[in-house]
Amino acid sequence: MAEVEETLKRIQSHKGVIGNMVVNAEGIPIRTTLDNSTTVQYAGLLHQLTTKARSTVRDIDPQNDLTFLRIRSKKHEIMVAPDKEYLLIVIQNPCE
Amino acid sequence: TATRAQPGPLGRAGRAGSAALATGGAASAKGPGRPGQLQDETLGVASVPSQWRGVQGIRGETKSCQTAGIATAEASAQARSHADAQVQTEAPVPVSTLPPSRLDTARLAAFLRRVEAMVIRELNKNWQSHAFDGFEVNWTEQQQTVSCLHTLCYPPAQGQGLHVTSISWNTTGSVVACAYGRLDDGDWSTLKSFVCAWNLDRRGLNPRQPSAVVEAPSAVLCLAFHPTQPSHIAGGLYSGEVLVWDMSRPEDPLLWRTGLTDDTHTDPVYQVVWLPEPRQSHRFQVLSVATDGKVLLWQGGGAGRLQLTEGFALVVQQLPRSTKLKKPPRGETEVGATAVAFSSFDPSLFVLGTEGGFPVKCSLAAEEAALTRMPSSVPLRAPAQFTFSPHGGPIYSVSCSPFHRNLFLSAGTDGHVHLYSMLQAQPLISLQLSYKYLFAVRWSPVRPLVFAAASGEGDVRLFDLQKSSQKPTISIKQTEDGSPVYCLEFNSQQTQLLAAGDAKGTVKVWQLSTEFTEQGPRETEDLDQLAAEVAT
Repeated sequence: MAEVEETLKRIQSHKGVIGNMVVNAEGIPIRTTLDNSTTVQYAGLLHQLTTKARSTVRDIDPQNDLTFLRIRSKKHEIMVAPDKEYLLIVIQNPCE
Repeated sequence: TATRAQPGPLGRAGRAGSAALATGGAASAKGPGRPGQLQDETLGVASVPSQWRGVQGIRGETKSCQTAGIATAEASAQARSHADAQVQTEAPVPVSTLPPSRLDTARLAAFLRRVEAMVIRELNKNWQSHAFDGFEVNWTEQQQTVSCLHTLCYPPAQGQGLHVTSISWNTTGSVVACAYGRLDDGDWSTLKSFVCAWNLDRRGLNPRQPSAVVEAPSAVLCLAFHPTQPSHIAGGLYSGEVLVWDMSRPEDPLLWRTGLTDDTHTDPVYQVVWLPEPRQSHRFQVLSVATDGKVLLWQGGGAGRLQLTEGFALVVQQLPRSTKLKKPPRGETEVGATAVAFSSFDPSLFVLGTEGGFPVKCSLAAEEAALTRMPSSVPLRAPAQFTFSPHGGPIYSVSCSPFHRNLFLSAGTDGHVHLYSMLQAQPLISLQLSYKYLFAVRWSPVRPLVFAAASGEGDVRLFDLQKSSQKPTISIKQTEDGSPVYCLEFNSQQTQLLAAGDAKGTVKVWQLSTEFTEQGPRETEDLDQLAAEVAT
């Protein structure tokens, strides 16, 4: 229990990180540092996008698989680390 | 003995027949002069064939008609089974995260151990990367200049010399409504005034023909569309009344009115605002602000009447002494309010612009009773919490920033725009935008550092605090002859549109260039910085 919190705190304290969350296989957020409505929005949308990204990669080459997903937008960068059971989503503001 | 006329068959005798009978009778009447000559005679029957009957007879035909047989069949139907169902929309329940006790923390910990290193590596790379420096993507067509999309007017109102006093966009961003009245009359006016609405998304939009027109008994000075109902609109009148119309019902648009009771404002209402009700956030009430110093909250009740639910009165003696104010003229205790703006971050906090030129920070939750003798069915409270340093003249407009909780703008007759922070009485920045009056100032809903002001010189001035903190970035000429622009509003749904109304009675919808509608990457931080550094 403490290890989970420690890890998430380490990630959150990294430079420029706005928030992070862990989402389960059904797209329901389990842990988050953001407010409820924002978390639910990110979780639902990114869960769908990750599934689509993974199927894209595997359709092109069935031996391949998705390891990491990054979305760069005008305001910040969203990083998704996927897994069989969970998704780790980190939102960073890369200050330039 | 007189012969008796033998009646022939009726109808065949006609008039000619009776004439013959009559002469027959007359001839025998001569008889009594000569006895012995009387004889019995039987006259033949005179008959005249009927002409019309004969003609009729030739034309007569026998006809008959019969409708074709109607096929009928018998069938019966019976519902075998039925079910009752009810539908009720409910306010969405916020989804909450799973309680931690239901997790398998061991698996979660293992997952995090697996991905942590990779994520930290990527975060570091991102932080140091210059890969995206100066890289920009254009998703929409770039608009380089400001252009006038529509010029709308209502000729009967222009014919009466009415000005556009207020503009409002509706909640869907497709309808713009304007109110006609006069802002320079010092007297009670009996001129009828109009509220006109144009639906800009309709094909065949006629700029001189509004899609809905409502007449009002007195000059309408302010308008506000309902935040969720696209056709409900509230207006404040010169007579102090507040009315709510439904623009989708042309035959009977008036929904509610305050009427002229003891509770109603005794001075012109300068601004109306819709507020969510404290307990039921999907229903709204109307707040009205007038120069009699009262700020009143109305709710639609039965019989088309607006009921007063809460009231506030601004009294000079109860103003917090945070800044030196001019001594008020003898005998006056009320402070006339001319503008109101609610904070987007704290729904009970609002700023009032006053006739004395100083903005006042107020709260809906204030408890203290107001020292006023104005009659009211609801106890009036004193809302003022903080007074800011004044302008050189009455304030006509205030606007709270949608991006920063402490910043707000005020503009007034001294031609200056002041940027205030809620935390201090002196303005952070004071800009002279016009040598005449400034009638309206509004923050842009998308760019945190941009605001627009309507000037008495006939221009709409757009200011970008990022580019220059001294002079306006763009000055849009609205009127040819320099008559004042009285009101302006940004469209929060179609963010490139800005509507402005002027003294000639026209509403112009301007399409702003892309630089005013697309947020840059660090604007919110720049705004925070501006608020922080200038305050020190």
